[in-house]
Amino acid sequence: IMSNQLNLLQVDSNQQRVRILMFQRPESFENPPMYVAVMTYLGFGIVTLFGYFRDFLRAVGLEKCHIAREREEQKDFVPLYQDFENFYTRNLYMRVRDNWNRPICSLPGPVFDVMERVSPDYNWTFSLTGKTIDDVINMGSYNYLGFAENDGDFLKTVADRTQQYGLGVCSTRQEMGNLAIHEELEQLVATFLGVESSMIFGMGFATNSMNIPALVGKGCLILSDELNHTSLILGARLSGATIWVFKHNNMQSLERLLREAVCSGQPRTHRPWRKVLIMVEGIYSMEGSVVRLPDIVALKKKYKAYLYLDEAHSIGAVGPTGRGVTELFGLDPSDIDVMMGTFTKSFGAAGGYIAGKKELVDYLRSHSHSAVYASAMSPPVTEQILRAMKCIMGLDGTTVGQARVHQLAENTRYFRSRLQEMGFIIYGNDDSPVVPILLYMPGKVVAFSRAMLKRKIGVVVVGFPATPITEARARFCLSAAHTKAMLDQVLFDLNELGDDLCLKFSRRKYSPH
Amino acid sequence: MQPKPKTWSLTTEETNLPSPPLEMNRQIIERVEDYKFLGNIIGNKNKMNVGVAHSEVNPNTRVMNSRGIWLTYALGVGMLHIVLLSIPFFSVPVVWTLTNIIHNFGMYVFMHAVKGTPFETPDQGKARLLTHWEQLDYGVQFTSSRKFFTISPIILYFLASFYTKYDTTHFVINTASLLSVLIPKLPQLHGVRIFGINKY
Repeated sequence: IMSNQLNLLQVDSNQQRVRILMFQRPESFENPPMYVAVMTYLGFGIVTLFGYFRDFLRAVGLEKCHIAREREEQKDFVPLYQDFENFYTRNLYMRVRDNWNRPICSLPGPVFDVMERVSPDYNWTFSLTGKTIDDVINMGSYNYLGFAENDGDFLKTVADRTQQYGLGVCSTRQEMGNLAIHEELEQLVATFLGVESSMIFGMGFATNSMNIPALVGKGCLILSDELNHTSLILGARLSGATIWVFKHNNMQSLERLLREAVCSGQPRTHRPWRKVLIMVEGIYSMEGSVVRLPDIVALKKKYKAYLYLDEAHSIGAVGPTGRGVTELFGLDPSDIDVMMGTFTKSFGAAGGYIAGKKELVDYLRSHSHSAVYASAMSPPVTEQILRAMKCIMGLDGTTVGQARVHQLAENTRYFRSRLQEMGFIIYGNDDSPVVPILLYMPGKVVAFSRAMLKRKIGVVVVGFPATPITEARARFCLSAAHTKAMLDQVLFDLNELGDDLCLKFSRRKYSPH
Repeated sequence: MQPKPKTWSLTTEETNLPSPPLEMNRQIIERVEDYKFLGNIIGNKNKMNVGVAHSEVNPNTRVMNSRGIWLTYALGVGMLHIVLLSIPFFSVPVVWTLTNIIHNFGMYVFMHAVKGTPFETPDQGKARLLTHWEQLDYGVQFTSSRKFFTISPIILYFLASFYTKYDTTHFVINTASLLSVLIPKLPQLHGVRIFGINKY
């Protein structure tokens, strides 16, 4: 399926002018040939049958049982452990567990050191050999602008602030935890995004889960995208509002739900909804797709809904100057009611922000759970974000930030076009630095990860049930710190592995433009 | 003063065996879009899905709708049949009856006997006591997957009856096997455990 993010006309509601928006590059979610799907199911079927066989051997006693069992005298009671729920874990995941949670012993920059471990009993237990695999190219960290660095010069201001303010605030924002440095950062974030005001929080996940309940409640409606992150889902659930899910990036589905909401109102009483909030993300981290922001803004204006945009992965990573998806589409930031983002990915720090109109942010300062109960952001982290943001905006007098944003865009374009040329199936928008390569079959997922580590490249792979059953993938996160040599190395290895493991499923003839 | 209207929450009433969601799902749902839309409103209770890439509470419900699984299933039955045909001392009627029996036995075990999910789901155990058939599409009846898996043993039965030349013994065996796999699929038996067999 190929969809064009083309939005030719947008009626500006304030001035009734017709604006012609840029033609955006297409997103594609290509389906593989049918035999790939059949082989995937066959793979899962064989693993399941072998799983039953191994369970039988364990029950009979022919195979050593490593999992938790009850003692003999407890077997007459109601069982403590559900055997079947762990079927997948013990029969599939345990066998290939060495591909996840690998311990590292250096800074997770563009290259890192992985600690080598061996397992004498097929991954039930691990032991470290003491050796490290040095200079593994890191394709898994969310290090979009390369701020995961420990250069002494760059971090001098952070060290100074730590001396000045200490490490922890030990108080909430509302009590004694509101430092001048927090206010400075909030003003800077507001300037960066082009909005009236912003508020920062110590934890990115908590920004969503603590603030959505403050914004919506019972009697409100939340329209959330299918592939929204857990933090958004948790926040929506905690708020008590009704949640309807629309198909990923599908504007017809969203419009149908909006019409349904406006026409029939709340269920049973049919009173109008108190608020309708559309929750979307800027870049979806598992698909690499970019939200169709112009269409959503047009819909929201037509049906008078509110928009909550979670730019966790897109702030700093897309847009000509790194301002996120609003800049990418050339939209006015005041069109989006609640702009949310995190500092974890592009700024090399931790925490999140919510930005928007002054009334909204002032309301959140008193009503947000995080402001009342959670401790404020720690000063060195705040200073790191200040430093990184000033660097991106160019306020520190250098062009380093701008260079990084450009480098990331270059890397993204290069990597994606080369992968498509080679014949891999890639999901997502051509502008997003998150590149999922589809691997489909469970055996290939594992072989891919192990082979890449042998070639000193660290990748993140995901399979069922975290993804749909036919869409297991390896996700590459590009960084401005990746040099072209590193990318070429990765591409070379991908090419060889793609031929060895037969991963080049794309049937599309790609011509670079 | 009017009493505050009770907000309709998306969780079903807490019984041991959750009943299928409202009356809406009893109608024959024409378009695929519609039942998925309803399934999204009624069935999809957005829960905390840590470490997953989608908001699907129970991936088991969507497996039978995935691309290529019907074809894989048909090919699997075909493979089974060919393997049985290649055993030299089985005659063709015996092979067809055996295919029918083994297919129905496998379908009964995997769809109507095994309960729960082979992985942990964030729905706090709502699907733990449900068989795979009951979990399909969150309990919405008459979806296309359900129709397909109801019709396929019937087709196999027709073929087996033809190839066994309607012999009495084969007929009895095949019919019993077919009934064992068709009766649990009736919507009236959704969540029903006769004599408490397989309840927990």
